[in-house]
Amino acid sequence: MLQAPDLPSIFFYIIFHGLPITLILTAHGLIWGFLIGLLLALMRVYGTREIEWVAIAYEKVFRGIPLLVLIFLFAFGVPGLFWFIDPLYRTLAAVILSLALRSGAYQSQILRGAILSVNPGQQLAARALGMSRLQAFRYVVMPQALRMALPSWSNEYAVVIKDTTFASAVGIIEMLRVTFRVVANNPEMLFPPLVILAIIYLIFTYPITRFFGERQTQKLKDLGLGG
Amino acid sequence: MEKPLLQVKNIWKAYDELQVLKGVSFDVEEGEVKVIFGPSGSGKSTLLRCINMLTPPDKGTVILQGTNLMDSDTNLNMIRSKIGMVFQHFNLFLHLKAIDNVSLGPRRVLGLSKDEATERALDALIQVKMEKWADHYPAQLSGGQQQRVGIARALVMNPVLILFDEPTSALDPELIGEVLQVMLDIAKSGTTMVVVTHEMGFARAVATEMIFIDEGVIVEKGTPRHFAISPETERAKQFLHRLEVLYGHHEELLEPEDKEEGNS
Amino acid sequence: MIQVLPRWLEDLLTVLSYSDELIAGLSTTLSLYFTALIMGFFLGLGFAIGRQYGGIITSRISTAYIELIRGTPLLVQLFLFYFFPYSLSATLELLGLLPLPLDWSIQIIGPGGQVITILNHRILTCYLMLGLNSTAYQAEYLRGAIASVSAEQLLAAQSLGLSRAGGIRSIVLPQSLRRVIPSWSNEAAYLPKYTVVAYFIGVEDLFAAAHFIVARTFLTLTTYLLVALIYLVLVTVISRILDYVHDRTKIPGL
Repeated sequence: MLQAPDLPSIFFYIIFHGLPITLILTAHGLIWGFLIGLLLALMRVYGTREIEWVAIAYEKVFRGIPLLVLIFLFAFGVPGLFWFIDPLYRTLAAVILSLALRSGAYQSQILRGAILSVNPGQQLAARALGMSRLQAFRYVVMPQALRMALPSWSNEYAVVIKDTTFASAVGIIEMLRVTFRVVANNPEMLFPPLVILAIIYLIFTYPITRFFGERQTQKLKDLGLGG
Repeated sequence: MEKPLLQVKNIWKAYDELQVLKGVSFDVEEGEVKVIFGPSGSGKSTLLRCINMLTPPDKGTVILQGTNLMDSDTNLNMIRSKIGMVFQHFNLFLHLKAIDNVSLGPRRVLGLSKDEATERALDALIQVKMEKWADHYPAQLSGGQQQRVGIARALVMNPVLILFDEPTSALDPELIGEVLQVMLDIAKSGTTMVVVTHEMGFARAVATEMIFIDEGVIVEKGTPRHFAISPETERAKQFLHRLEVLYGHHEELLEPEDKEEGNS
Repeated sequence: MIQVLPRWLEDLLTVLSYSDELIAGLSTTLSLYFTALIMGFFLGLGFAIGRQYGGIITSRISTAYIELIRGTPLLVQLFLFYFFPYSLSATLELLGLLPLPLDWSIQIIGPGGQVITILNHRILTCYLMLGLNSTAYQAEYLRGAIASVSAEQLLAAQSLGLSRAGGIRSIVLPQSLRRVIPSWSNEAAYLPKYTVVAYFIGVEDLFAAAHFIVARTFLTLTTYLLVALIYLVLVTVISRILDYVHDRTKIPGL
């Protein structure tokens, strides 16, 4: 960067160099977290007592450990954990694993709540039509549960995208790290780059949580779902 | 004749675009039982809330014992402690036992000691035959029992006037009787009451005057006898006829709740 | 005769020999946690009441604060808050004024003669920023609980002659403070984990202690697992206590 960059160019510099990794971390964290969460939710709702206990234990553990500790644990604590991955990407994989394992514990709660809030009478009605338990779940319970989970999900998205900043601690070049590069190159500008980063984050969180939090909740009410 | 206890003069009230009250006036003498009735959404509940200024009117005056409640220097909290109010949905304080629901006013507003307030509250609960339930929380009581506690909560303040806002319309039919009985007892003891209700039996038994309200105006006034025998206006006739048809049923089953509820 | 210990136990004992550092770190983490939680509660209650019952300006300001904090990462807030005085100081110097004194510290001498720093610019920044951050989250939980108490109950209180403020205090708050416990527990269990941000600006919390031990012993797995376990126990104990409180304060019949 040239000397004394103007604010818009800092904005685009951070977006250009930092956003891709931030979004990759967020997407992977959420998607793998969803699969883990769905599995855990099914274990808790439909599993035997022992299976449910395993899922509860998983949730307690991963909701109780700071993300940063998980990241360091997987990045430095277990050498050879990602032997099958190009060494260049191993730290990135450790961060994604941490984000996903933790998000799974939270998404499990979201999905479990949503599944339980679907009126059991509907499942009976589906069974009465001749559907199997699995079909009833797949075609009746799941479509409603996923919709009802949307508002809480938008919050989970916001948590994950904000927490990708912790990846900067292990050298991942996400937006916070890029911002510090700007600060390092322009020591006289300690403050503005961080303000710009905050604004970028607001752009990526507030509209989404607001849209899903309010409009979606209203839509669900119109459908007679949720409350 | 001395001045009326309560004078309501030319009350107007609108919620946004919707004009709910359009110039309502009436007086209430001491010891009177005034029954207000009319179709849902006609402004009855709003009118009651205008009397104790929980919903201040846009225009008009309310005078209680010579004090104009619309004056900006009137102490409304002091006035409200003299006007009891009983709500359609009871509105009991969910975190307090029945006895504490009733003693809250005497303690916090009248400044009585805990013992005095509890003693008075117990008297009020006895009046509504709820003393056995004093230590229960609202959620542990039936609707009729909750409403009786609600009445005791108003009584305990020794109000000069009690406002009843459809006190039985949220109750299951079999629970209405116990609440009406308590209200009859209170009316017969000489308490001044303004009651919004469709319970014509209650009205016939104790009302000194009935007021029929529709679309925000008083359409017709008269004694229960007058309305029973010869209502003058077509609207009152029709409405009473509908009540008659539904007699023994519960009119709220067919009439949705008052529209103004959502705005208050 | 020397008994040969299993490798993992030997590692654990090595790490535990740094118990002084671990305990000092844990006490910093705990004091950050409790300060932020309590500060966040009282400020959050103010913002919640402001948002729910305030005039249009109060309510807008409360809403803006809550959304700004919730919409940005805690780390970014922390760095902003940390750098702001330096930035201000530099500007003051440019204007020919005196710079702000930022390298102050309050220290005490420990029982073993070692110097313990109680407070300095960095530690103060952590206390304030964690508190200000938690404020926004607690305010949202509190507002939800306040809104769940029906407005009609407040009217009923006013109909008895209680003032609005009196009604909020003796009718709305006692109920909403009970109702908020389950959702508030979430924040109470989130916050201990987020105190690790202190590490980023060089405050010696529990995670910084882990880092210190790793630098000395290279026992990464044992150290990080042990620290993970400590946080896990901390969060679990807090959740248990709150569950118990919730149970004891339930309103019968509800």
